[in-house]
Amino acid sequence: MPRKSKVSILLLSVVLIMSLVLSACGNSNNSSQSSSPAASGSTATSEGTASGPNNEKELELKLAFIGLGNMKDVNLVQDEISKITKAKINATVKLMPIDIGAWVQQVNLMLAGNEPLDLLLTSSFFNFSSQVAKGQLLPIDELVAKYGPTIKDTMEPNIFNATKVGGKSYGVPSVRDTAADHGFAARKDLMDKYSLTFDNVKTYADLDPILKTIKDNEPGIYPIVQRSQANTIASEIVRGYIDAMGDTPGVIMVNNQDLKVVNLYEQPMYKDALQLARRWYQAGYIMPDAATSQESNNSLMNAGKAFSYFANMKPGFEAQETIVNGHEIVAVRFVAPISTSDSSTGFMMSIPKNTQDADRAAQLLNLLYTDKDIANLIANGIEGKHYVSAGDNLIKAPEGSSNYIFNQWEVGNNALTKVWEGTAPDIWEQTKAFNAASTFSKALGFSFDATPVKTEVAAVANVNNQYKAGLESGTIDPAKLDEFLSKLRSAGLDKIIAEKQKQLDAWAKENNIQ
Amino acid sequence: MAKTGWVQTLKKIKRYRALFLMMVPGIVYLIINNYMPMFGVIIAFKDINYAQGILGSDWIGFKNFEYLFKTDDAFTITRNTILYNGSFIILNTVMAIGVAIMLNEVRSKFAARFYQSVILLPFLISMVVVGYLVLSMLSSENGYLNMNILPMFGMEPISWYFEPKYWPYILTIVQLWKATGYLCVIFLASIIGIDNEYYEAATIDGASKWHQIRSITVPLIMPTITIMTLLAIGRIFYSDFGLFYQVPLNSGPLQPVTDVIDTYVYRGLMTLGDIGMSSAAGLYQSMVGFILVLLSNYIVSKRNKENALF
Amino acid sequence: MKNQMNQIFVHSVFIVLAALCLFPFLLLFMSSVTEEASIISNGYSIWPSVFSLEAYSYLWNQKSAMFNAYGITIVVTVVGTFVGLVISALLAYPLSRNDLPMRRSLSFLVFFTLLFNGGLVPTYLIYTEVFEMKNTLMSLVVPGLLTNGFFILLIRTFFANSIPVQIIESAYIDGASEFKIFYRMVLPLSLPILATIGLMLTINYWNDWFNGLIYVTEPSLFSIQNLLNRMLVNIQFLQQNNLGGQNVTASMPMNSVRMAMAVIGILPLLLIYPFFQKYFVKGLTIGAVK
Repeated sequence: MPRKSKVSILLLSVVLIMSLVLSACGNSNNSSQSSSPAASGSTATSEGTASGPNNEKELELKLAFIGLGNMKDVNLVQDEISKITKAKINATVKLMPIDIGAWVQQVNLMLAGNEPLDLLLTSSFFNFSSQVAKGQLLPIDELVAKYGPTIKDTMEPNIFNATKVGGKSYGVPSVRDTAADHGFAARKDLMDKYSLTFDNVKTYADLDPILKTIKDNEPGIYPIVQRSQANTIASEIVRGYIDAMGDTPGVIMVNNQDLKVVNLYEQPMYKDALQLARRWYQAGYIMPDAATSQESNNSLMNAGKAFSYFANMKPGFEAQETIVNGHEIVAVRFVAPISTSDSSTGFMMSIPKNTQDADRAAQLLNLLYTDKDIANLIANGIEGKHYVSAGDNLIKAPEGSSNYIFNQWEVGNNALTKVWEGTAPDIWEQTKAFNAASTFSKALGFSFDATPVKTEVAAVANVNNQYKAGLESGTIDPAKLDEFLSKLRSAGLDKIIAEKQKQLDAWAKENNIQ
Repeated sequence: MAKTGWVQTLKKIKRYRALFLMMVPGIVYLIINNYMPMFGVIIAFKDINYAQGILGSDWIGFKNFEYLFKTDDAFTITRNTILYNGSFIILNTVMAIGVAIMLNEVRSKFAARFYQSVILLPFLISMVVVGYLVLSMLSSENGYLNMNILPMFGMEPISWYFEPKYWPYILTIVQLWKATGYLCVIFLASIIGIDNEYYEAATIDGASKWHQIRSITVPLIMPTITIMTLLAIGRIFYSDFGLFYQVPLNSGPLQPVTDVIDTYVYRGLMTLGDIGMSSAAGLYQSMVGFILVLLSNYIVSKRNKENALF
Repeated sequence: MKNQMNQIFVHSVFIVLAALCLFPFLLLFMSSVTEEASIISNGYSIWPSVFSLEAYSYLWNQKSAMFNAYGITIVVTVVGTFVGLVISALLAYPLSRNDLPMRRSLSFLVFFTLLFNGGLVPTYLIYTEVFEMKNTLMSLVVPGLLTNGFFILLIRTFFANSIPVQIIESAYIDGASEFKIFYRMVLPLSLPILATIGLMLTINYWNDWFNGLIYVTEPSLFSIQNLLNRMLVNIQFLQQNNLGGQNVTASMPMNSVRMAMAVIGILPLLLIYPFFQKYFVKGLTIGAVK
């Protein structure tokens, strides 16, 4: 027995040494490769000003983003884009749509190694600040100033400047409806049928009579549904008033215009929202299995099972929703538009440390925000194949329907894209004005780094899952709120809030925000 | 002395060189696929910063493990994991052996094939789809049970996804339903391998079916049973993520009875994407499994050296 | 008489079991041919109120992607099963021989891989950085070949228990080489376990979505299960994360499409299954020994 175990130990150690050697090799590669883009970046910034960009070597730039919708012809689109970029920056483009369900894992893996990746969608909903903290993204201030000086003119300055961590910028927000107002959307046909109007509806609580009418007269239709399990009734009600600063607990109240991080679940507004949700649930306005339902509001609306839902809105909201719901939609807004820190850091384009050539990546980044043809190709596909002109800068689907659908808000400068028929032709001007007129959160530009409290964040996430969906959909009695709160505290909620406050204060001081 | 030892070893290696050669592809594969990545356990003890590389990152001791033990839920998830997987090991084995033995008794070849195919069916679909099937049975609004079965007994509809008390049974049944076929096929292969002479002799001696099963079938497939059980014990801290996450639809109120280590870790890391913490969880699960297997293997080898794994 | 009673009992047990196993599949199939609106308003049912092949025609519209995915699945399954079986049997046979030097240590080397792994990230780095397998067919085949040594132990046990040592010894004395013994005598005697492991490997490869999820981002390399899994996981993700209220749920596929995907994912496996079963026929081993 002892002799045998010696042999196995020997074998094991040989193997371990082998793997050490191998991974050491891998690692030395690592450091040389990962330092090179940074180095080339800095040389470029010092020399480049004199000699201009050095694009001698042809490259294939890889662009990873969240693949939503149907992107069957992504290769065709990518070839068209490559034609443009080949001429302009001597590089072709490889589009890499990655499924949202696989996103966190796949990005983590790609950034753990040295796989070439030149532009990456980043988001405060997907660990943006921890990616910065872990050194996975490159600071881009100089690169953008050099290669994309006009990018900053495409959006509100506070949005553009809000992607800074520790004084350096790590991403460029997508140009979209960065602000949002909040309210209630319902089927027009049923509103008309019972002569319901929004005249006396000023707040969420005023909706009672409308919901009651539907409940009493339309059996088989839920008066109000949730957009998803996570977009609960109560969360939609409070969303218009808070800046959540990512998806860890601790929010600031936008209307207070201060920088005090509070526990949302203790706010009277939140408690009221829970009470309202509960009352509606008990009255039968909300579907019984709202907290676990696998159906989206759109499929429920399409199936004729739902009358209304809450949503965050924007110019053109009704037209858009009418298309996806199969019923004409009317909406009422309760909360004026706000821009929160997620408006900026919610969806950005960043240059990861894995880039083959940071300068070239920055040039592509510039094209995404300034080249009309590229913006259109990404958002709408190829003219004649995926859309046809409907005159006047409007487009429509070709015979048969388009099989290239791209969610527009994610990448680049959407204001450059052509507008679908049925939407107001000046939609992007409207959006721009809408964004500019919104109330800006004081914390806009702050990104919370959860790494110092990651133990607590992991524990809180589990407590949240246990109570949040149930409470906020009205399924669980709000009396359980105290239990929820005490569990959150023992999971370390206060520590997270304190850490958030600390980082926020430091950030405010650095940026001279009172 | 030492010299003759060497010569003997060399001779032995020469005698068995063909056998060693056979093993080369497999061993090389295991080294690449399994042993080389093991180096990665150091990630569990590091605060990974990619700018410094994995080796260059700071050591932080057991900090990545903290979240597994620190909270009130630590006890619940550990208890759930062990109780569920423990009972699955016992129930699966008993059920699969029972079915395999009975399947071996079926005379009609056609029927035997048919039954075998059918009980393996559930294994072929992914847990996510199983989750949808369970939902179609249990949905409080229009599920099969609430609509068709419960009214037959004059019972009120039940909000299944909000009532924790039913879920230990539901999960066990779903698990059995899905896993029995797979295990059964493995046991059946061993049973088929048993020499018929044993049974013929037993029948001549007038042994009953039950007696034959107890004294021939079970002892002869014991090595397979032992392997399967030891393997299951080694993975007792891992759970089928789909079963505990997708099948209960991640419903909050059910969490006290459906939460296991894997689901807890998954939820916690969704927002963090921290590979240090996920490595820590994996290492913890492996360690416990490893110790348990060494223990049980020791016990097995005390009783019967042949059945032990190593 | 007693035998007959036995048979009746056994058959009735299996009929109940079979019904329990089949029922959900019936439900699955029926939901895939139910009209979408009818699923949402009336729930899943064994006999849909409104039949519709909409889901299948939706999938047919994407037939080039679907057929491509089938192709990937089939290639990966066939190659993976064959190579995996060969490597496993070659590794298991020497380990089953009592006289092999260092047998216990080597067995432990195999067994150890079942309990410890380096975790996802290091494995991923080895395959993508050292072997550069990202977005290749290889990445779908290689990581599943030995499934952590699990099958090796099963085959080893079968060899050790069902291949009489005497015939190996006598063949060796007659001058047969080890390879010849293995190929001519051991393998033919081991068809039941080889068929079983072959079946298991086939199922594993056919149903594998994990390697696809990790190592492949190129849609032309997606297998059927990978497509199905991505679809379902995306839905779940969108349901449970609010992303600041962004509107993303509109792109989720319908219930009936999910079910139809599941159906077309299982069908081919059901069709090849009887082929494997041929080898389970009782007496194969024993006949050869006698």
